[in-house]
Amino acid sequence: MSPNTVGNGALIPFSGDTTDSLAVYPLHHDLARPISRLAISWSRGNSLRVSLFAEPSVNPNTGDGAKVVEVKLGGGDPEITDADWRRIAYGSVAPFALLQSRRSSLSELSKSPSPYHLDWWEHVLQYSKDITSLLGGPKLSPSLIIEDPNEIVQKNEEPTCLKAAWELMEIFYVDKQSQAWLPERLVDWLADYDSLFTSTQETIHGKLVDFQNDLVNIQVIEDDPRYWEVMSSALSVGWLDIVVKMLRLHGSYQLDQLSNRELENGLVEAVAVLISKMPRLRPESVVGNLGECFKSKPDFIKAWEKWRSQITKLDCSPFWIQCDNQQTREGLRDLLQVMLGNTESLCTASCYWIELYVSHFLYIRPFTIGIESMYNLAQKCIQLKPPTGTHRLTELMIGILEENTEVVLAEISREFGPWMIAHAVELLTAGSEQAEILLHDERDNLGGISIVELHRLAYAQILSSHTLTWQIAPIYLTSCMKQGMGLLENLLYRQSVQHKNTLLKNIEICRLYELDHISSNIMKVAGVYHWKHGRKGAGVYWLQQSQDTSCLDRIAQQLFDSVGKSISDESFKQWEGIIELLGSESKPAGGLEFLHKYRDFKKSLQMVYSGKSTDAARQAVGSLIMLMKNPSTPQRFWLPLLYDSLKLLNWKDSPLLSVSETNLLLNKLQELSLARQRPHFTEPSLPPQAPSSIRLALATNLGRAILDE
Amino acid sequence: MAKELLSLENGTTCSSWNYSSTRLAAGSVDGTFSIFDFHDPPSSSSLTSTFKSKVHEGNIVKIVWVPPEYGDAVACISADGIVSLLEEIVEDSQPLQWKICKTFRSNASKVLDVQFGISSTRLKMVAAYSDGHVRIFELLDPLELRSWQLQAEFQNVIESVSSFGKAVCLSASISLNPQKGQESSFIVGFNSNTPELNSSKVWEFDQAHQRWLPVAELALPEDKGDQVYAVAWAPNIGRPYEIIAVATHKGLSIWHLGLNPDHNGRLPVERVALLSGHQGMVWQMEWDMSGMTLATTGNDGMVRLWQSNLNGVWHQQAAFEPTS
Amino acid sequence: MAVTANSETSQIHRFPQYKYIDAVRWLPVLSAFNRFAVLATFDYDSDLSSIEIHSFKPNPISFEFQSSWNSPSRISSLKASQFLQKTVIAASTSSGSLHFLFADSSDATLESEVSVPEDELHSVSESSIDLMDGGVECVTVGDDGRVNLVTVGNSNLNYRRLFDSGGLVSYTAVKWASPVEFATGGYGFGLHWWDQRKPGGPVSQFKGNWDKNLTSGIVHSIDIHPSRKHTCLAGGSLGTVLAWDLRWQQQPIILSGTGAGDGNTAVQSISESEVWEVQYDRCIKSNTSSTRILPSMICSEDGILGVIEQGEESIELLAEPCAINSFDIDRHNPLDVICSLEWEAVAILTRQ
Repeated sequence: MSPNTVGNGALIPFSGDTTDSLAVYPLHHDLARPISRLAISWSRGNSLRVSLFAEPSVNPNTGDGAKVVEVKLGGGDPEITDADWRRIAYGSVAPFALLQSRRSSLSELSKSPSPYHLDWWEHVLQYSKDITSLLGGPKLSPSLIIEDPNEIVQKNEEPTCLKAAWELMEIFYVDKQSQAWLPERLVDWLADYDSLFTSTQETIHGKLVDFQNDLVNIQVIEDDPRYWEVMSSALSVGWLDIVVKMLRLHGSYQLDQLSNRELENGLVEAVAVLISKMPRLRPESVVGNLGECFKSKPDFIKAWEKWRSQITKLDCSPFWIQCDNQQTREGLRDLLQVMLGNTESLCTASCYWIELYVSHFLYIRPFTIGIESMYNLAQKCIQLKPPTGTHRLTELMIGILEENTEVVLAEISREFGPWMIAHAVELLTAGSEQAEILLHDERDNLGGISIVELHRLAYAQILSSHTLTWQIAPIYLTSCMKQGMGLLENLLYRQSVQHKNTLLKNIEICRLYELDHISSNIMKVAGVYHWKHGRKGAGVYWLQQSQDTSCLDRIAQQLFDSVGKSISDESFKQWEGIIELLGSESKPAGGLEFLHKYRDFKKSLQMVYSGKSTDAARQAVGSLIMLMKNPSTPQRFWLPLLYDSLKLLNWKDSPLLSVSETNLLLNKLQELSLARQRPHFTEPSLPPQAPSSIRLALATNLGRAILDE
Repeated sequence: MAKELLSLENGTTCSSWNYSSTRLAAGSVDGTFSIFDFHDPPSSSSLTSTFKSKVHEGNIVKIVWVPPEYGDAVACISADGIVSLLEEIVEDSQPLQWKICKTFRSNASKVLDVQFGISSTRLKMVAAYSDGHVRIFELLDPLELRSWQLQAEFQNVIESVSSFGKAVCLSASISLNPQKGQESSFIVGFNSNTPELNSSKVWEFDQAHQRWLPVAELALPEDKGDQVYAVAWAPNIGRPYEIIAVATHKGLSIWHLGLNPDHNGRLPVERVALLSGHQGMVWQMEWDMSGMTLATTGNDGMVRLWQSNLNGVWHQQAAFEPTS
Repeated sequence: MAVTANSETSQIHRFPQYKYIDAVRWLPVLSAFNRFAVLATFDYDSDLSSIEIHSFKPNPISFEFQSSWNSPSRISSLKASQFLQKTVIAASTSSGSLHFLFADSSDATLESEVSVPEDELHSVSESSIDLMDGGVECVTVGDDGRVNLVTVGNSNLNYRRLFDSGGLVSYTAVKWASPVEFATGGYGFGLHWWDQRKPGGPVSQFKGNWDKNLTSGIVHSIDIHPSRKHTCLAGGSLGTVLAWDLRWQQQPIILSGTGAGDGNTAVQSISESEVWEVQYDRCIKSNTSSTRILPSMICSEDGILGVIEQGEESIELLAEPCAINSFDIDRHNPLDVICSLEWEAVAILTRQ
């Protein structure tokens, strides 16, 4: 188990059973003093942060006063490392998304809520194959692939329980095409994964590996009883290649012995040929595998009967008496007994019930098709070979054979965790309509969601709790009809805005799923964060993006003051950048775009004050009129603007404002005095005589302008 | 089993994570306030101390973060019932630092708990006092955490005729409806000598009459006087009802709160579970972001997790026991 | 979902790293036999950030770890260049430090390192750097609005602040144009042109009021072609790629972008989200008109690696289900492109 996870998805509510004994986990800390208080806080997803406070001590040198620890709940499969889990999580996104889009386009086509289409299972099979390809363990080093004549057991990749469980479900639920040769698929499955059971009990694979390790120390192989024992075992589960390869290690094949052990060698070879000719009811064998494959049952039955008669014939052959090597004689005849389906021989040859179960299909009930009475046979095998320990794969297999969806669900949830269950429900529902109803039915007890949705939400929580995987959670959440978007909103809201890339990713996810209200909120958080942390430009940018007019109005006031103050300063150049930023915005900038014009006005005003020509003054008046005409200029700035312009209004040489322009400004002044009667009017910090001096200047200007015109 | 993130100094009494769980604020017996940050951009590395200063004369007993829409700010509640708002800000070319921007104190009573919420784009602070009063303050300027205005004041009683002047409350617990973007509602419960104040009640702002109204009481008739230790309003990601957890000495109850009021304006309530676990005082209850798992801590020194199973039955799912 | 466009015309190899890749570059090396890439990685499980050198061999395909240097924190910007007989790698970190690594030019072994400590250059974590081609001058810009010049000497580093906006303007990208000029990018698609001979501020600003229809965004990357120093190519938010010609300041050429508004159908968009990096495509067809903007390559948040050419249909080289954070075109073999995938992998693309 990964060091900081708890239980294998034990925190996912999967069962109807509440009488389970309570799981109590230790929370290790190395505080010297007793704990006086705890504080808890959920991070994103299923990560819980716990603060442990020790009793305060008067002596300051008594070590730490508190510890903060993080616990991740309901992690994955301990067999697989965290980095590999992430690889699987990334890789399963595309197949999952593809299957969901196929499901929705199919249900749109058929207008029926259930995706039951004749070929639906084919889509699921494709999905299943894509997922399977991700689950392979690490490849062994290439040196092992070099053919070793003495190597009996070959391994191409490290098998994992996860992959074994996935394939088992694929065999039973998805792959309709191979339902006809289900037993053979089980044979293949066991061949791939028998080694996994070695952890809890003796297995044929384990016996083979042990024997292979001892091989170098054995002088005369056929004299070693284990040689024959291991071969019957391998034969009982149908590992024909291994048995034939081992038979060829028999001493009678050695060139110097061939002549005087001719008969013995003939018998060995005859058995080897019979083994390699064993008829199998399956489409085709994996390249290099022995046995003759038959697709149709009648052909198979014919071949099987012929093969069986050949074995019987050999078994009754007089040559056995002439064979003087007792070990060889008995060993070979044991192999024949396995092939003849002798229950006792099979029972001795196999190590645990699944091996025995598989041997039954191969030699006792070769004509079994489909899942019929498979459960009864399994029970019989369990009785014959009572399990010494429980293994997660056997529990799963029993659940599948029982055809009990709830048990299967509970097993995979408990043993393989949230990734498995979120992805495997697709296999379960492809299997039967009953499972489909059970899993997709919306339940009041779950707050109106289905079991499928519940497990997707649970998996999304796991993804959310990790920095590198939270961004794939939306794929799963948006496949949840009822509560996915709600959880997605909470997830997005809880991402930090401090780091630009995370922030932009967050906004991108909002864009993809049309969560404009969330992205606007996130941008506001970012804006306030940057503004308050001294990055005014970035702050304004984000507040503009979020169209937060109330904050922008406040900022406009601050900037107005600063721009007005610093106009003559050296530091004015610094404001250029932020004003450019404000000007470039096409969205309503909350009264900020007027600052742009205000800057121009202030600039020309400055030139006027530094004694430049009337032209500069005219330019300044132009800017003033633009500002006053512009509806985006906030009313509260009118008076300061006019007050700033007193010199222009009182221009000595000639009136700078035309009659209409003067009237415009007078009207604005009138509007202001009306506005002052209303509540919420904020009085600008100007000398009290300001309005009257403006009015006087405007009146004078008007008079002069009338005369001029 | 658990990954250690941080060690804190002797005398630390409380801690609180911000909205994104990237900053931790901690308070001490001697009034020291400290901030710890994860490295930025996100990594799994441990936290580093970025600020530490004595901000208060007395013991800091609780720290509550202000919603991030209003910057990086916290409310520190001291043992003597004073609330200080601290904000991280750059001002007048000074370097970035935490500053006290507002202090709430009352001569007559102590503040026991505060929580923040946003409604109609305004920040609200709900404060519960030791005299059984609840006060709601509103922020006037979105960029200034200095200016607040008292919006409402009332006692936690349903049928309010007389005021309970002599009420003495030991503790209070407030939890706001976590749903964003709508008019706020919250639940508050007291641990006091006045039975009428104790039971947790849901308060909702009545826009039409501009006042706060009690819309539900989360206590069975026989339990109404029970002292309330903690309340927690679960995030609702799409359920047709709200879920609220209330802890009293009788145990932990899970309530369903309907969304549609009856003709009296009351919301239908149903207690769906009464669970026992902590055997005494419950210190804190926290819902995860899906509102499906409740974590609690209490007098027995354990952290307990609660979930509802497929049949809608609430039960304890796991527990954590601190061991050294 | 994952459709690899143009799979007939290019070979794509993906190499899982089990680490997050913050940035990737080809190393300019002298050896004709060895090809090296430098990766800025972050190993979540061990919480280690490092700069790793990997060697790439095309036949049989291999991408193998060579050597690494541990960084104090995650890398926010990574550049590589060649100076005398050395390969120089410059990296700025999220804790604010800047590091120069010197590698042997033939076998890419890391030989020495010099650095500027935290808080000397920038007060915030977000910074961007550019290393002068064939030189050891490095310009750094940051969200805090500071612009610094760092010069690597024989055994020491010199650095000075060229400008400090005090946070009023934040810079998010920088690129040298000449030994004395460089361009910076920031919020609001702001582009500034700087000339060290005229200190005190930018000498030219890309004015914002050119197109009211364009939604604002952030510049993430800038490129300037050595043969056309007057044109500044910028990539940023909303799939935007634009060229700013200093000679026609008010009229940028929009090469891609969704923010151009509904009315503007003349511009196609290769991506709809953040363009993380833009580079002139070094693999230029001979018939490229001199009046046109040279073709450029981009990578984006929505998983696109593609080539944009003015007036032509853009070409998708890769369409990944995850973001492509950074890429680099090999300057010696411009057909080879390396890119970093968000899902902890590196992809190498060989165009035919």
